[in-house]
Amino acid sequence: MSATATRLVGGQVGERATFELTAWALDPAARRAGTAELVIRDGVLESIAWLDDPRGLDDRGVIVAPGFLDLHAHLREPGGEAAETVASGLTAAAHGGFTAVCAMPNTTPPIDSAAAIRATLGAAAASGSPVRLLPIGAATAGRAGERLAPLGELVDAGAVAFSDDGSPIQATELFPSALAYAGMLGVPLIDHPEDSAQTVGAEAHDGLAATVLGLRGWPAGAEANAVARDVAVLAEVVRDVPTARLHLTHLSTAESLEHVRRAKAAGLPVTCDVTPHHLALTDEWLAGARRWAWHAIDADGTARDPWRDGAIDAPPYDAALRVNPPLRSPVDARACRLALADGTVAAVATDHAPHTEVDKAVEFGLAKPGIAGIETALGVLIEAVDAGELELETVVRALTIGPARVLGAGGTGAGVAGLVEGRPVDLVVFDRSERWTVEPMALRSKGFGHPLDGRSLPGRVLATIAGGRIAYAGVERD
Amino acid sequence: MSPNPAMVVPARAGDPADSAMGSWPHRHLLDADALTWPQMVRVMDLADEMREIFERRRPRSEALKGVGVTNLFYEASTRTRVSFEVAAKHLSADVVNVSAGGSSIEKGESLLDTMRTLEALGARVLVIRHAVSGAPYLVAREFRGSVINAGDGRHAHPTQALLDLYTLRRHMPEGSLEGRKVVILGDVLHSRVARSNLWTLTAAGADVWVCGPATLLRGFEAWAAAGVGGARRFTVTSDVKAALRGADAVMALRLQQERMAAGLLPSVHEYAVRFGLTTKRLSFASPGCLVMHPGPMNEGVEIAPDVANGPRSLITEQVANGVPVRMAVLALCTAAAA
Repeated sequence: MSATATRLVGGQVGERATFELTAWALDPAARRAGTAELVIRDGVLESIAWLDDPRGLDDRGVIVAPGFLDLHAHLREPGGEAAETVASGLTAAAHGGFTAVCAMPNTTPPIDSAAAIRATLGAAAASGSPVRLLPIGAATAGRAGERLAPLGELVDAGAVAFSDDGSPIQATELFPSALAYAGMLGVPLIDHPEDSAQTVGAEAHDGLAATVLGLRGWPAGAEANAVARDVAVLAEVVRDVPTARLHLTHLSTAESLEHVRRAKAAGLPVTCDVTPHHLALTDEWLAGARRWAWHAIDADGTARDPWRDGAIDAPPYDAALRVNPPLRSPVDARACRLALADGTVAAVATDHAPHTEVDKAVEFGLAKPGIAGIETALGVLIEAVDAGELELETVVRALTIGPARVLGAGGTGAGVAGLVEGRPVDLVVFDRSERWTVEPMALRSKGFGHPLDGRSLPGRVLATIAGGRIAYAGVERD
Repeated sequence: MSPNPAMVVPARAGDPADSAMGSWPHRHLLDADALTWPQMVRVMDLADEMREIFERRRPRSEALKGVGVTNLFYEASTRTRVSFEVAAKHLSADVVNVSAGGSSIEKGESLLDTMRTLEALGARVLVIRHAVSGAPYLVAREFRGSVINAGDGRHAHPTQALLDLYTLRRHMPEGSLEGRKVVILGDVLHSRVARSNLWTLTAAGADVWVCGPATLLRGFEAWAAAGVGGARRFTVTSDVKAALRGADAVMALRLQQERMAAGLLPSVHEYAVRFGLTTKRLSFASPGCLVMHPGPMNEGVEIAPDVANGPRSLITEQVANGVPVRMAVLALCTAAAA
């Protein structure tokens, strides 16, 4: 069946795709899963036929799904081209199965003007990659947190959301204003929830690994407090501006997710995402443990001790693991998976954050925070599925219709995130069971290093088609 | 790197470093957590032999003859740097000292670039002191010789812990710490000495207590519950009397002025009154309770001058013992690198 898939990969990047494929299809928008025959001609999904007879195929082999949408990536252009460019970032995205990527505006200078949005979109067009770049505009001018950025102009130029990601929006008056104004414009405000007063100099999640390693603690409460504040402000703003929408990105603690769960139950227009690394890796990795988060916790929900288990098998302080928010406890990682499963979490976003060797091959506490995970997101998530921690359908939803709904109709070009006949197709074909080895030098991202360096992951992407054009075509194997 | 012949074949019959040969698996010493108890004992035994050289009852060893030992100190240090320098010289090494002031480090050169430069200049052993926890691990990943951690941030100071262990064993009946109550008193949170000592003292079977203000013990209750290495126990308390009651040894830690500025303590005075190691407090301990301090001391703050200079004080002996212990570590690690 893999052979069926490889036949489609003959074309060059950018060419309109023409192929037929019979594979296990997942379409969260249509709530369908099963063997389907797809006919794609000149980039358009001419037909999709769901077969009653699975023809011996199942969800453990080649899978076709709508193309993935990443709500959170750092493409580093302008200003950080040594770490990533729009072109390399979109190529990496395609290699990871993504057909649309929201680019965070914390570049140098920040994306806080219509001209900057147009320049970013121009770079995407010039790259030749068919992967769609969805720009996120800065919420405040210069990301300085002092006054609003020209939000209306940014939306007119193509911004799909606003965020000062990398920093929280601290000023208490500015945050409700940004929420209300973004609501008026029909786009969500994305906040990076962090009470910065509690994280000055922080290096690692405030837990056992930080204590043993002598790393300055990063309290879980620094995130939960910010989430609680954000939700409280949202509750006040929506009374006056019912269209206001808040999206909380890269939530990492059980308590934060519980705040969101309660806010959603109260009917507030809040959504959130988690990253693959926060649901699959934990703070014990800093000490040198290299087991998945679900192996670091007992059935009764108690975190295991990696020293007692003899699970420390790599050198400590790998700067590739330095990330904001930090890798949390096994209990928090499980809360991320549970919140994804119960719908509290709308999307998995990668927080793809590449850095150069200069910024990463340094002392742990001096390394820039970030994991360049857009190419490993699917593999990590399938590991969780294979371990029985998540359903495959949940994962695919969180990579497709979940993030699309966060952006909503106001998100121009966000796509329909479904396998819809008669339209240029956004899809990914991957082999769930085929394993591949993470080698940072072989990844398309320019980012230096990777916490999963040398590790094998399931779920090799065979092809990514964006807007009907070939974005990534795996190596021919027959 | 071609192995230095001097590291493989002892140059002189009867060199104490001969017993550094074989079955020592550690090219680097980054923390005491990597050492098994028999390996710690091996350091102690070799230090006993090295002591003979240090005390000039035997000629210096030639174990590190022609071997470049570079002391790379990113933080100010007198006693540790000099101790390593003296230790390396007693092993006939070529010693170079690099401090952060007046070098390319101040111009922003990365730690790895500095390491490569020093390696190109012949360093085969890098002794590193650094303010950032874990920094020596970064160097050890790429350096072709041996890295010895001389203190990294809050994390570890393994040669200090080994010399503390060595010093304690010399004063305990039959050199055993089994069941002996050893108290680490003071700013445990920020102390690399405390962390490394937790590994060595619990491995030695001591009944280890850590004591200090609640603000300077945060996280240690959870570590105590989990156990050192997931198994070995210690006790955490802010009750100085309970900690000192029946203690066989107490190790006071230096209190930094920054703790007050950071809001962790009201004042130096209040600390001295409540947690300072005074003669009165020491009276709760076992008669003959040993007194230690890794230095440098704030006399009158964490330790009263009469206690620091009293008959039970091992503080200057700790300094002297640092040399043979570091000689042993240097000999063992360079032999493993060869």
